[in-house]
Amino acid sequence: MRTLAFLLSLFLYSCATRDEAPSTPAAPPPLPETPTARETVAIAGLMESARGDAAAGRLVQAAGTLERALRIEPRNPRLWHELAKVRLRQGDEAQAANLAARSNSLAGSDSALRAANQAIIEQARTTR
Amino acid sequence: MARRGRILRYFGYAVLAGFAAFLAFAFYLDLRVTGEFEGRRFSLPARIYARPIELHAGTRVPQAEVEAELRALGYAVGEREQPGWFLKDQNSLEISLRPFIFWDGAQPARRLRVTFEPVGVKSVTSEGKDVPLARLEPLPIGGIYPAGNEDRVLVRLGEVPRHLVMELIAVEDRNFFSHAGFDPRALARAAVRSATGRTEGGSTITQQLVKNFFLTPERTIKRKFTELVMAVLLEMHYGKEEILETYLNEIYLGQDRDRAIHGVGLAAQFYFGKEVRHLNVAESALLIAMVKGPAVYDPRRHSTRALDRRNLVLHEAKEQGYLTLEQYSAARAMPLGVAPKPETGTTPYPAFVQLVQRQLRRDYDDKDLRSEGLRIFTALDPRVQNAAEHALATRLAQFDKDRRFGPPGMEGAVVVADPQSGEIQALVSGRDPRYRGFNRAVDAARPVGSLLKPVVYLTALQEPAKYTLVTPIDDGPFVWKSRGAPDWEPQNYDKKFHGMVPLRTALAQSYNAATARLGTDIGVEKVLDNVRRLGIERPLKPFAATLLGAVELSPLEVAQMYQTMASGGFKTPLRAIREVTTQEGRPLARYALRVEQAIATEPAYLITAAMQGVVREGTAQGLKSMLAPETNVAGKTGTTDDQRDAWFAGFTGDRLAVVWVGYDDNRAAKLSGAASALPVWGDLMAALQPEPLALQKPDNIETVLIDPQSGLRADMSCPGALELPFAGGSAPAGRAPCASELGVTVQEVKQKARSWLDRLFGR
Repeated sequence: MRTLAFLLSLFLYSCATRDEAPSTPAAPPPLPETPTARETVAIAGLMESARGDAAAGRLVQAAGTLERALRIEPRNPRLWHELAKVRLRQGDEAQAANLAARSNSLAGSDSALRAANQAIIEQARTTR
Repeated sequence: MARRGRILRYFGYAVLAGFAAFLAFAFYLDLRVTGEFEGRRFSLPARIYARPIELHAGTRVPQAEVEAELRALGYAVGEREQPGWFLKDQNSLEISLRPFIFWDGAQPARRLRVTFEPVGVKSVTSEGKDVPLARLEPLPIGGIYPAGNEDRVLVRLGEVPRHLVMELIAVEDRNFFSHAGFDPRALARAAVRSATGRTEGGSTITQQLVKNFFLTPERTIKRKFTELVMAVLLEMHYGKEEILETYLNEIYLGQDRDRAIHGVGLAAQFYFGKEVRHLNVAESALLIAMVKGPAVYDPRRHSTRALDRRNLVLHEAKEQGYLTLEQYSAARAMPLGVAPKPETGTTPYPAFVQLVQRQLRRDYDDKDLRSEGLRIFTALDPRVQNAAEHALATRLAQFDKDRRFGPPGMEGAVVVADPQSGEIQALVSGRDPRYRGFNRAVDAARPVGSLLKPVVYLTALQEPAKYTLVTPIDDGPFVWKSRGAPDWEPQNYDKKFHGMVPLRTALAQSYNAATARLGTDIGVEKVLDNVRRLGIERPLKPFAATLLGAVELSPLEVAQMYQTMASGGFKTPLRAIREVTTQEGRPLARYALRVEQAIATEPAYLITAAMQGVVREGTAQGLKSMLAPETNVAGKTGTTDDQRDAWFAGFTGDRLAVVWVGYDDNRAAKLSGAASALPVWGDLMAALQPEPLALQKPDNIETVLIDPQSGLRADMSCPGALELPFAGGSAPAGRAPCASELGVTVQEVKQKARSWLDRLFGR
């Protein structure tokens, strides 16, 4: 039902703008919703294995797996965040802060994620 | 009497001295044999791999591309006994994957069923179960080879079929297991035969090995003698099996352009697309037939001669009792069975491999790269690379025909990268992508012209209080005076001045006077500082003319600069390599993804919107007919004086590409960036189904409906109104004359529609 409503509103909206204003939208269109639920299964699997590696101290492996996931979903802010955490544990504070900022730039309205990124940035600043 | 005694004594001394010299010589050879045989072993080239295709529901790769990749990997169509084949159906593939050791671990052989829909992969399953993610093995794309471009795949004697060994012994050295390094009977036989006009080497396998391993190919008595002594020494130190194994790995068995095929392991792959342990009696016999002369008996070039010789090998093996009559007859009846293989030489992608090699040389010894059998995993995407090569070659051929300047024709270069990860997916260094010469993509520094303009506007947009996308900029005649230099008076491309124009239009139309005025107002140093932040490392001259692109950069450098803008201000150094492992798969190094926030996200967002304007309404409108409008490409054309250099740099949601077109000898191409580099870019992207460019809007950016005439707030009644982004409260406050006093903004309408729908559907 929600999807139907969403599609219908999209349709109505596109009709509405065409009728009401002869405008060409110049701003980049908003980020599409998280792709498909299926695609996230692949990412979820990689994230889980990266977390497992990180927990076991295999940080290089964890970072590699997260980068693999980022190649598939480069605009997933959670992946950037996870990578920031791994870099922080590796003692690379500068990278951690940059990666957290990258995550923030994609986080949209996810305030919990933003707070977590901010915490990494703060921590990187104090450790440096 | 005394005299005779003295002669005898001297003679004795001479014999002793000779014997001592021989001993010393033998001792020296012994040192060489043990030292070198033990120490040198084989140099194994570093192997370079393309990116693996990741298969998961949603992979945007069409079925035909996966099939093409499997074929390139040497997978057979149709079911086979061993892994390494696939079955195709209308919308699905059944793949029997070979095992492969990735940098992060081994992936065993497995069966995959992949179903497709038009955009890409629909599902991946294995034995009925969903597979979240699977990798195809990566395509080998070349190597870094030892001297003589020797390539080989080492095998153990245990992996080599017994019939191959027996066929070898039957033809090359029938007393191998009984002689001591040389075979007097074979020598005698050879002497007799050569006396009767037929040349035949009486060399044993051991002698052949010594000759290939330690000696030069000249044919002198001294060398023959050395060879013999060394063969005997080798036999004293090492067992028959060790010698045999070394021989099977050493033997030269063919040539693939500049790459020399050594050893039965690689030869089995090269001629039959198989592992050596799966070779049958006839196939093995063909390899043994080639030992005598791989060029003369090349089964791909001289099939009759090769077949005759193969059958001779089979005959000898039967005569000496190594094959039964049944085995012999069956093998003799078989065709050559050689797999067709496009000749690739050391690499089909020399420009990319050269870049890989350069990046590796910073971290590894050249010697190690050429001998340790390292495995190098890169980001090259053969599909993107082929699309780029094709787009460039096709368009250049067309330009040559239209221009009629005569040879040498126009040249070009292309760089394609992932804007988020900075990975280089394709690198084309000229119209003949197989040519291993000047790497234009990396080493050609050419004036960039207007490609630098976005940086001028980016620098302006960093001060939202002073500059927005609608701020009027003066495109009137402009003169820049500096002491000790002639006055600088930039002209526009259309030789006209346009008066006051909105900032976004000045960029979209690439106005020179407006850009020069804007850039000098902000300060040349400030602009150049941004150029450096974006990733240009070479020193730039702090002259006003630099603003208009009087700067020479390589396509790769331009790609770096645009990567930073394309990823929202986060610079990621462009990389070709992902990981390096040892031969056995132990990880040695990862080339990690690194990001650095070089530019704040807001100005990066604004300049991207402005560059989308270049395509929507500016100099790059030509792309509109090549790509769907919702792709929302951001880019910039570049053309230099007299149209010597034509550029286009731009990005979609998933790819960034830079194209340069021009003449090596700097002739005026008389083609603008829009007329030459842009079509190459468009063809390339159109072939790859680009993802639309949809940037995440930063928090303090608002989009406002603007009346293009006045640059003020518009509403629904304003014709041609545009939604434009503004940073932190910099949007104009005033309403355009066309907007009614009571007019509502787009945001308000959207809000209303949403709440109405919410109520309707009871959300």
